[in-house]
Amino acid sequence: MPVVTLYFDRVKKILGKTVPKAKLVETLPFIGLDIEDETVDHVNVEYSPNRPDYSTDYGIITGLQGLLGIKLGMPALKIKNGKNTIKAHPTVSKIRPYVTAIEARNGKLDDETIRQIITMQEDLHNGLGRRRKKASIGIHDLEKIKFPLYYKTVTQEHSFVPLESDVSLTVKEILEKTETGKKYKHILEGHSKVPIIVDSDGKTISLPPIVNAKLTEMNAKTRNLLVEVTATDKNAAEGVLAVVENTLQIAGFEIYSVKITGAGNSTPVLKSRDLVLEPELVNKTLGIEISNQVIIKSLKKSRLDAKMRGKKIVCTIPRYRTDIFGVMDLVEEVALGYGIQNLVPTMPESVSAGERNGITKTLETVRQIMVGLGYLEVMNFELTSKEILYEKTTRDSSKIISVADSKSQEHIILRDVLIPGMMEVLSRNIHESYPQKIFEIGTVFEKASPINEVVHLACLGAHKDVNFTEVKSVLQSLLKTGFNLTCDTMPQKEPMFVDGRTGSVMINSKKLGSLGEVDPKVADNFKLRTPVAGFEIKITDLLF
Amino acid sequence: MSQVLHPIEQKILKTLADKKTLTPEELAEVTKLSLDQTRRGIEWLKFKNLANVTESEKIIVTLGKRGNEAFEKGLPERQLVNHLRSLDGYSCEMNAAKDYLKNEFGPAIANAKKNGWIEVHENRLMLKGYHDLSSEEKIIKTISKTPIGVSADELEDKSALESLKKRPDFVVLTSKKSALVDLTEQGMEAAKSVPDNIDFESVSETSNKVEQEAKVVRAIDVEAAAPVIFAAKSHPLRDVIDEVREIFVSLGFSEIIGNNVQSSFWNFDALFTPQDHPAREMQDTFYLADVKAKTTAKPDQIKKVADAHKKGWNYQWQNEEARRLVLRTHTTCVTIRELADQKHDEARLFSIGKVFRNEKLSYKHLAEFHQVEGVVVGKNVTLRDLMGLQTEFYHKMGIKKIKFWPTFFPYTEPSLQSMIYNEKLGKWVELFGMGIFRQEVTKPLGIKNPVLAWGGGIERIAMLRYGLTDVRELYENKFGWLRSVPKCQ
Repeated sequence: MPVVTLYFDRVKKILGKTVPKAKLVETLPFIGLDIEDETVDHVNVEYSPNRPDYSTDYGIITGLQGLLGIKLGMPALKIKNGKNTIKAHPTVSKIRPYVTAIEARNGKLDDETIRQIITMQEDLHNGLGRRRKKASIGIHDLEKIKFPLYYKTVTQEHSFVPLESDVSLTVKEILEKTETGKKYKHILEGHSKVPIIVDSDGKTISLPPIVNAKLTEMNAKTRNLLVEVTATDKNAAEGVLAVVENTLQIAGFEIYSVKITGAGNSTPVLKSRDLVLEPELVNKTLGIEISNQVIIKSLKKSRLDAKMRGKKIVCTIPRYRTDIFGVMDLVEEVALGYGIQNLVPTMPESVSAGERNGITKTLETVRQIMVGLGYLEVMNFELTSKEILYEKTTRDSSKIISVADSKSQEHIILRDVLIPGMMEVLSRNIHESYPQKIFEIGTVFEKASPINEVVHLACLGAHKDVNFTEVKSVLQSLLKTGFNLTCDTMPQKEPMFVDGRTGSVMINSKKLGSLGEVDPKVADNFKLRTPVAGFEIKITDLLF
Repeated sequence: MSQVLHPIEQKILKTLADKKTLTPEELAEVTKLSLDQTRRGIEWLKFKNLANVTESEKIIVTLGKRGNEAFEKGLPERQLVNHLRSLDGYSCEMNAAKDYLKNEFGPAIANAKKNGWIEVHENRLMLKGYHDLSSEEKIIKTISKTPIGVSADELEDKSALESLKKRPDFVVLTSKKSALVDLTEQGMEAAKSVPDNIDFESVSETSNKVEQEAKVVRAIDVEAAAPVIFAAKSHPLRDVIDEVREIFVSLGFSEIIGNNVQSSFWNFDALFTPQDHPAREMQDTFYLADVKAKTTAKPDQIKKVADAHKKGWNYQWQNEEARRLVLRTHTTCVTIRELADQKHDEARLFSIGKVFRNEKLSYKHLAEFHQVEGVVVGKNVTLRDLMGLQTEFYHKMGIKKIKFWPTFFPYTEPSLQSMIYNEKLGKWVELFGMGIFRQEVTKPLGIKNPVLAWGGGIERIAMLRYGLTDVRELYENKFGWLRSVPKCQ
């Protein structure tokens, strides 16, 4: 989850009231933030990606103001009419059809504010913007721009000086050579032309969704900003813009609209919406009895507006709250405003007797029998490596089942048997005292149409006198004690076991598994110097 | 002296009091005990502080393959001298000697020259001087006298040994550890009270049972340490899983199970996770390579879920994407399928199983771990009920201090997380998450009543239980740990 740093001196300034540090820190979790760590001058908090308005200290302080009762209801939103225009050209429709923007004027930036804004921008790109694919933001120094702006497409030969560069680069060079170009060029794949925003002097200000021009980079002296958002989804574009707009307004900027025309685009409205909430739903869901007035106050503490209309509550939601889908989201807002700590747990009466699943019961019994026979249980991962599963055991790997793009080489293949993993366990324990006797019960995977999952039991004995007969005794005893079954063992060939010392386990002439003495070459591959013998059977087949 | 001494101990004490210092082998020979009995006896005495054992290391020299040959036929240089002696004029051409000695020619010439036995003159070898035993030959002779070899320390001519060592396969050096046993002061004291006639009948292996019973039972040292053996048992993590399961059952929950491999439909789509959501990307989730589900759900279920996505997330939902197979990222896919198929009006269900995340393993992250999840379906269930069930669950686990904080999960609303106070760590730890299933999840699948859901990782609980700081230890299966973790805690 993304992290935001809250400096106590900034919080004090923005909050509008002096609140003891301890009280602040104590309140943070109750607006849904996780405290990462706390020092003398700041606290780091993690916020959930569904609340992009918490991606800056401004947004978090807005939330705190509500819960601490300093300011209630929706933050006042003032958008003044601006004079400037962005014109979209029809050619953008096929690549990245939507553009939207606002101006933020007469604000003050300092290094920390710039850092907060850039973090917000990145978080919005990754979350609502779906790693810039759905929407991306450009923030520019307004003074460097000559309106109207044009949102259009150009060939990859087009060139300008991008951020982080001192020289002019062609689009092609930006996509092939720069870090962000390489990271995001896949979004523009399949198009010979790329979207671009240029001003009236023909100067490029942005290559969405890749990079802005160096020309319009903001710094601590910048007072007026242009925020543009380009997107493949209009709703996402406006959601993103609303979050930035709200944040900049709290940061002290005056917000002006920017007129958007052309190619199905229109000037963003960023208007709030209403949802009707039945008070009964709140009480029924939370299990409390609170009055309409308390519900309204709770919603206001969650920085929403609410009022009665007849017997129902009309709740007004600002545009930047993209996380609210329906009435249940409002119920949660009430719970937060009311205070989770004020909800007293209750114990509902049980209407049913519980029970374990039948398969679980059988497996528990099998486990008890194996322990009774003197075997120690081990637990291995279901994802393993080709080396352990096939190479060291010299097994046939033609039915291998692998996962795509694993981050770890040791966890790539779904096991189809248990013994290889258990050999690895013995290998890790060669310095421990012998005899070593282990068993494992676990899920294994078979290639079928598409995949079968079955439960296997395997056991291995490692000591100087272990042999076929010993493990056959254990198998017989298990089958008899657990299932009142007897089995036949027929000669077979199995690469893990020594020829002539291995058998297939047959019950009612159906093959259930194998047993045998592990081939010394295989044992040697696991660096084992002690003889090993064991069996592996499909328990799933015994559950009729 | 409070201790009762075993006849073996008595015998050793008496012998050592007399002979002072012996190796275990020598002791066995003198006492006529077996070597095993002697060693056991020494251990017991050591444990009681009656005997000292000092370890020492000896280098033993024995003859190698060529050393044995040399002993029989003489060293190559001796063979050369003998050959020359048999020839007229005590000399021969270099090439003739080469034919005779083959591979040994080089060392034979070099050593014979070094010993002053021959000289080389215009490509002819000529015998000269005296041909007494060389120092190397003396060493070979000494070593050959005993099959068990000679201690390197006992060989006087160290430089000759060094030169033999340089010649491959003549001598073999092995390190032999041996112990020397002598008595402590207390041991000397104890030896005085050992009777002259030690009762050995009862240790003798040939004595038969009837005879033994007829005798008075000889006292043994009940204070002596007994050998360590290990009980077979279930895995410590399994015990925690079983405990969690038992608590759920006791709270009236019935267990459901499902596959680890699931279609994206049940793992994501049915839970209202949009198809472009970051959680569905390969870097977080394991997708199976090269295979897809043939079918995912009933046509009606697919259509309604697709509609919910279109309405809620405003994008074109793809069935093809829903067919991709994943290693489930939570057990919720099992729960939701059960609820969608069975349409319970009232139910308490739970599921325990493996879940998978495409993570690099670290002390706090695994790529696969166990998760438990419980759901309560009912017309009148509330968030406070959910908090109550969670509290009861923790109480049964022995956790008393609990608090709840709001949080976010994609498919529940409202959502809470529980924090528990861990006495060992002295801090609050985040544990299970919970919430009420979103209507965007339940409605399309025809689930009418509210569904309370809660759950979390079991390894987390196991770590707290066993005081582990690295979660990987649970899967290392180190016998040292498995054998020593107490079952009852």
